[in-house]
Amino acid sequence: MPADVLFTVSGLSKTYGLVRALDDVHLTVCRGEILGLIGPNGAGKTTLFECLAGVQPSDAGVVVPDTQRPDLLFYMPDGISPWADQPVHWVLQYVLGLYRGRRDLYVDVVNRLELTSLLRTKIAALSKGQRKRVLLAIGLLTPQPVLLIDEPFDGLDLRQTREVAATLRSHASLGRTLFLSIHQISDAAKICNRFVLLSNGRVCAEGSREELARLAEDRTGQPSSNFEDVFLALT
Amino acid sequence: MLLLSGPLVGVSFISAVRIYAEASGLGGTSIGVGQAFSPLVGVWAPTFSAYEIVAVFLLPFVTIRMISGDRQSGASKLEQQAPVSVFLRVAIKALILLAGWLIVSVPGAIAIVLWLSYGGHAYWPEVIAVVLGHFLNAGLTVALAAAAASVTEHPSTAAIATLAFTVGTWVLAFVAAVQGAFWEKLAGYTPPALVADFQHGLIQMDVVLVAVILVVAGLAVAAVWMRTGLTVRRRSSQSLVVAAIVIAAAATSTFVRASWDASENRQNSFSLTETAALARIKTPLHIEVHLAPEDPRRSDLDRNAISKLRRVMQSLDVSYISATSIGLFEQTSEHYGEIWYQMDGRKTMSRVTTAEGVLESIYELANVSPMQEDTEHLFAGYPLAQPPVWAATVFYLFWPAVVIASMLFFRRRNG
Repeated sequence: MPADVLFTVSGLSKTYGLVRALDDVHLTVCRGEILGLIGPNGAGKTTLFECLAGVQPSDAGVVVPDTQRPDLLFYMPDGISPWADQPVHWVLQYVLGLYRGRRDLYVDVVNRLELTSLLRTKIAALSKGQRKRVLLAIGLLTPQPVLLIDEPFDGLDLRQTREVAATLRSHASLGRTLFLSIHQISDAAKICNRFVLLSNGRVCAEGSREELARLAEDRTGQPSSNFEDVFLALT
Repeated sequence: MLLLSGPLVGVSFISAVRIYAEASGLGGTSIGVGQAFSPLVGVWAPTFSAYEIVAVFLLPFVTIRMISGDRQSGASKLEQQAPVSVFLRVAIKALILLAGWLIVSVPGAIAIVLWLSYGGHAYWPEVIAVVLGHFLNAGLTVALAAAAASVTEHPSTAAIATLAFTVGTWVLAFVAAVQGAFWEKLAGYTPPALVADFQHGLIQMDVVLVAVILVVAGLAVAAVWMRTGLTVRRRSSQSLVVAAIVIAAAATSTFVRASWDASENRQNSFSLTETAALARIKTPLHIEVHLAPEDPRRSDLDRNAISKLRRVMQSLDVSYISATSIGLFEQTSEHYGEIWYQMDGRKTMSRVTTAEGVLESIYELANVSPMQEDTEHLFAGYPLAQPPVWAATVFYLFWPAVVIASMLFFRRRNG
């Protein structure tokens, strides 16, 4: 286990009726890393994030240390249009006020995510990709040490994906821990330091790319440098 | 809501002023008919009754849009993670809605200004009572709609639940009229009854307290159900705790007897001399009324005498006796229609349901005689034979134009 552990999750479970969305999930999050939560659609990635953030209740499981979640992490859901009637600059300022956010990062975040020309546009009028960039800006302006982002690249084109990845990396280099839920394995491989592989609500494997490759080799008996093959072998 | 409030108040105001003017002699009616006219009854109550429509049919949807909209847009997921108590967030949302209500109340203020410009009279305590009543009603609506929006998954379900509650209060009022007793008491705390009290200039502390408790309870339930991070079972149990506290607090509040008659013509009170005479009677009085709940004589008795007596006499106990709800087939019964007054072992019976008749029986029983009425302080009324000039222009053209212009201005300013 890496030395600089920020928090660990043990035995996290969640069911919806008869469907077991999360099944005894264990994972570790380290300080300053970019951790990728990888899994196919329906694996339980969003449920895991929402349970961690306290947005929905879990049936069982603990987070250690048991600090107040709002002080530890911030979760940015995918596909939302918060405060849709308000312009972007209002939303960003509101977020800064509501969360006592990082005002010192405002200009940098707005510039890096190319939001300057959108500041006076209402959230409801934004395209999917523009809205995603605003959501990322909201997340990056919050002060919590851990930022959970559900599908950070969804809706972005190739150039924007690279820009956003660079922005996320720079924030991680400043000491912020990023936990990203990504279903595109190629995107995850480009940005994350470590990975949690989730399938059918269970954690199949956790580790760096090299550690996961070794695990896959142990399981299949064949070495692979392709991360997609590693993922398929472990899930 | 803002756009419609002007025309709604306008319709009520113009109609009220016209009728007031006609009764006061405009258009050939006999002069003197409106001598006893009170602006509270003739103008303020009907004009501000437009706000009852706004509170029932528009305000719930604005509230639901605010609460459910946040959930549907995903804003609530973000707000839940803020270092701000959910109760504080709900309180802020409620305050924003009530501030909106104050803006919606501007047409009512315009109606007051127009009335004064016609030379009309305003007795401010009764105007404030009417405005306060509608403000409390708005608070109840906001709390109810917020709770419904939080508990239910979909805005339309919340709207149905809110309207069902409103219709339920109407049904309760109907049941109370038929069954009387406990139901009558309960119906006295519903929003329509609350508004009716205030529109008559009557401010009853128990009704105000129950309303405030219900507002706080509704907002508390809304806050509990906004915490989606808690299990449904835990939120349900917390709601039950809130309900238990509300029932206990509301039940305690019903024992508070303080009340104020804010009407200038003392329509909820006996005259000053009668009140002074009744206040001298310290012996407990029991009144036994043999009238059915739906008998009009019982309504007369309650409105003209009993409700006023309750406000003056601390030791008053009233019991109603009837075998049926309408009393139609009890008319032949020997004792039907009798009103028995009992004080300190002495009894007297009367069938009179007017205030004068009731007081006469009580004075006779208590051996009290009221002082001579001070005719100088009798309410003489404020007739005003003036048509509602400019009102239609103000409410139907000017107000909508201002609202639309403001909307366009803010839309353009916000990009």
